[in-house]
Amino acid sequence: AQLLPEEEDDLWHAYNLIAVGDSLQAVTVRKVLRDSASGGRDAERVKLKLEIVVESVDYDKEGNVLRVRGKNITENDHVKIGQFHTLELELKRPFVLRKEYWDWLALDTIQQACDPTASADLAVILMQEGLAHLFLIGRSITATRSRVETSIPRKHGPAIAGYESALKKFFEHVLQALLKHIDFEVVQCVVIASPGFTKDQFRDYMHLEAARRDLRVIIENKSRIILAHAPSGYKHSLKEVLDTPGVMSLIKDTKAAQEVQALKEFFTMLTNDSARACYGPKHVEVAHERLAIQTLLMTDTLFRNTDIASRRKYVNLVESVKKYGGTVHIFSSMHVSGDQLAQLTGIAAILRFPLPDLEDIEM
Amino acid sequence: VPKTDNQSDLEGPHRNAGPWLCSICSQQNDTSCMSCEVCGVLRDLSLYFNNTNEPEGGAKRRNKHSGVSVLARSLFTPSSPKSKAIVFSDGFRGNKNATGHMQASLGTLHKTFMTHKQRHNIVPFKFDIPSPDDMVSIGLKSSRHLRKADTSVPCVDIPGKMVMGDDDLVAEKDTSTDPSSSVKLDELGGNSSSVAANTRNETLILDNELQHLSLERKPKNSKAKIKKPVPVSQYKPEPWMLQGEDQEMPRQLNLAIVGHVDSGKSTLCGRLLHALGRISKKQMHKNEKEAKEKGKGSFAYAWAMDESADERARGITMNVGVAYFDTKNYQVVMLDSPGHKDFVPNMISGVTQADAAVLVVDASLGSFESGMGVNGVGQTKEHSQLIRSFGVENLIVAVNKMDSVEYSAERFNYVKSQLGIFLRSCGYKESAITWVPLSAMENENLVTAASDTRLSSWFHGTCLLEAIDSSAAPHRDVSKPLRLPICDVISSHVLGQVAVCGKVVCGAIRSDSKVLVMPSGELATVKIIERDSSRLSSARAGDNIAIGLQGIDPIHVMSGGVLCHPDYPVSVASSLELKILVLDITVPILPGLQFELHAHHAKVSASLVRIVSLLDQKTGKASARKPRMLTARQAAVVEVRLEREVCVEEFGTLKALGRAFLRSQGSTVAVGVVTRVVQRELELQ
Repeated sequence: AQLLPEEEDDLWHAYNLIAVGDSLQAVTVRKVLRDSASGGRDAERVKLKLEIVVESVDYDKEGNVLRVRGKNITENDHVKIGQFHTLELELKRPFVLRKEYWDWLALDTIQQACDPTASADLAVILMQEGLAHLFLIGRSITATRSRVETSIPRKHGPAIAGYESALKKFFEHVLQALLKHIDFEVVQCVVIASPGFTKDQFRDYMHLEAARRDLRVIIENKSRIILAHAPSGYKHSLKEVLDTPGVMSLIKDTKAAQEVQALKEFFTMLTNDSARACYGPKHVEVAHERLAIQTLLMTDTLFRNTDIASRRKYVNLVESVKKYGGTVHIFSSMHVSGDQLAQLTGIAAILRFPLPDLEDIEM
Repeated sequence: VPKTDNQSDLEGPHRNAGPWLCSICSQQNDTSCMSCEVCGVLRDLSLYFNNTNEPEGGAKRRNKHSGVSVLARSLFTPSSPKSKAIVFSDGFRGNKNATGHMQASLGTLHKTFMTHKQRHNIVPFKFDIPSPDDMVSIGLKSSRHLRKADTSVPCVDIPGKMVMGDDDLVAEKDTSTDPSSSVKLDELGGNSSSVAANTRNETLILDNELQHLSLERKPKNSKAKIKKPVPVSQYKPEPWMLQGEDQEMPRQLNLAIVGHVDSGKSTLCGRLLHALGRISKKQMHKNEKEAKEKGKGSFAYAWAMDESADERARGITMNVGVAYFDTKNYQVVMLDSPGHKDFVPNMISGVTQADAAVLVVDASLGSFESGMGVNGVGQTKEHSQLIRSFGVENLIVAVNKMDSVEYSAERFNYVKSQLGIFLRSCGYKESAITWVPLSAMENENLVTAASDTRLSSWFHGTCLLEAIDSSAAPHRDVSKPLRLPICDVISSHVLGQVAVCGKVVCGAIRSDSKVLVMPSGELATVKIIERDSSRLSSARAGDNIAIGLQGIDPIHVMSGGVLCHPDYPVSVASSLELKILVLDITVPILPGLQFELHAHHAKVSASLVRIVSLLDQKTGKASARKPRMLTARQAAVVEVRLEREVCVEEFGTLKALGRAFLRSQGSTVAVGVVTRVVQRELELQ
């Protein structure tokens, strides 16, 4: 299939798509050494089209580059067959991916990536006094764009003035980060979330500064900036922010929202009837053997397994769960909820009926 | 040897400016370096090598002279007293590498030297009382170890015999030059075996001082900022720390005021301060007027504590407020905590220092119930659990707003029975809880006994102030190395650019001493110590102080850090093993849970890596099976990974720095203690 990554998310999908053993064709630049007539050697950069058999894939979150290493299989003047080469896949650069076998997951991934309506870009500023994070939430990745941390003194008699100025400075840093990283043409809306009143204080500060400095972007997009409550300013609180009704309605149909919902369901089930929820590959497998799985939660890291056999195993598991009428949620490990699931062995399930004896099976 | 107390002479003698040449490898060294950058030889070695007038001979000959003989010679050759002292130490240092059994002879030598020195009135070394023998042996071991690590003085193997010979030489020289000391030496020689232990003690002490000397200077020529940690058990309190312990000074009591939102904590504090004359009439009048203008007349007293504009506008406390007042027995530091759910983190970081606590409960109908968490978790419950896990044993329950229930004894008893059950389940002893009905608004039963007949008719207990005054004296750990968790970083014109606030958890601190700021590992000098805006020269465990620091960049000082003794750094962890008690939670705890971990003033994002074992509530034994999850009221051992490094101690070592609080989704899910610290790798050069 020929693919063209258009946004960050697409690269992430490509990362999930490309597996060891696939062959990948793309345009690349390679430094070629050539013996010149005079006996010296010239180094020349040649642009050429190469096809390689993938041996390893690396995703660079910051640089938005996918690095794929493998052995060359196309014949040409400059690179011998079997020579190693690393292809860099970037945005707007087409590539061709060949697989021996396209499983449904791969096809699904492509379908998802091609569906433009599912895209919802949301920016969240998660803050507490002295600490702020700026996240951009795409369909399947959450990127931490900026982190602001300053030390703010607690009130202390005469030092109260120091508190005010320290807070001002902190807000200024956050505002700068906001202006730098948030492009209102891409981002649908901005959520400012914090415990207590920090969010209100910041919003007031932002509007005041916007009016004073004539920051058009903020004034024009005033309506797209909303407030939400968060229990803390740390990254993992993002889950709760996405769960607040105001934000939920904005991102209702996105993957991030579905993931948060599914994980929440899992935890609710665990709370109410702990025998109807399980986690860990062993337990899930046992539950599946008894056809008890209603909802299966998995992270995409499991599919990215280098070992083809285990990938096959998980794919088969998902397929058979679906066959028996269960639902499957594949979490993106780039989202907070997926991150949490990944730490919870990466696989969990809500069951149709209680299986209390799971407790007794060693994990 | 008479006891002397002149420890500040640790500062080395001043030297000539300009680079100096290493006597061993002829490396040009900077003036600020105490020892050669290449070979680590101490600078002053040159002093006595020059003395011997020896050409670049073999190491053997040098060995001979660098030992005791050199020492002896330099002792009695006329030179400035100060440099003499340092030469002595250097010679001594070289010698230390020799075998152990010569310690005793060295000890005698010391004695002579000391007596000699005292006559000159230079006392660069401080003496302590002889310590127990086991301390000696530990000390000896470590000191020898240290020598190996930081010196390459070319006299590693002087045979014991030779030294003994040299020692004889000293004796001879002594007799020739200084009869009085030789008498002493003879005397010592006579019963050397019996005094051996004693003299060894002194060598050790001297040695310790040398260790200080070398350790303090090390950072200047090497990049290693954090030294090899010395076991805390080896620590000996310096005499100044213990001084004044017996003085009849009013002790400090850190009193936390906690309770549910709007139970009247700040108003209670304001009332207390006002009644004790800590708020001027003018200030009070101003507050009253401003509060009225805002239509919040009842907040006038609370505004004494809530100073920031935001707090006043919203009528709630957001940050921990600090105020001071004196009672008969104590200097009380009052910590007024925020009651609102969102500010529990602030409350935790601000109130961990508490020795005692006042739990304020709203007696009025409905308010008490919401504090107890009829719907959701009430902060009356959460706070009292937290306070208990801070290590506070004595609790004063102030049943506030009694005026709103007509000072009904029935209501008071209802509150008492309801809350009493819960408090006992938290681990408070019945006898440790004092119940005080009061009304902060109407000033009933605060500083004087109740005047309203409706209250005084049935209540005959103590008023709040008396209850505070009679709380048990907190235990202070002065004899441990210094630990001061940084609560706040401020800068003011009095304290200077970088100043920190906090409570000395153990040990003592005084101005002009050096402290290590962890986790950055930077050294700083204490310039000013202040308590309640009055200057102090030193502060001991339990004191809540503000310290002005010098010689450190503000970016290295963060709240949540710890000031500690330079030689005994606090452990820094990025991964911990905790023994936790799960509180009343609805969602069970699973591995992978992400939460905020609070430990003293530090807060950090963390995640649960695995549940090691489940503990039986009654027996405390670990269950064999790995549990799938943790539910309410279970105790377990868990492993957590921290996002960033945090200074903590194992609970067994230091309780105050070994407590941790786990918060997730806006409520405290578990409290625990640190059972094992997985230390980060020390960057030893």
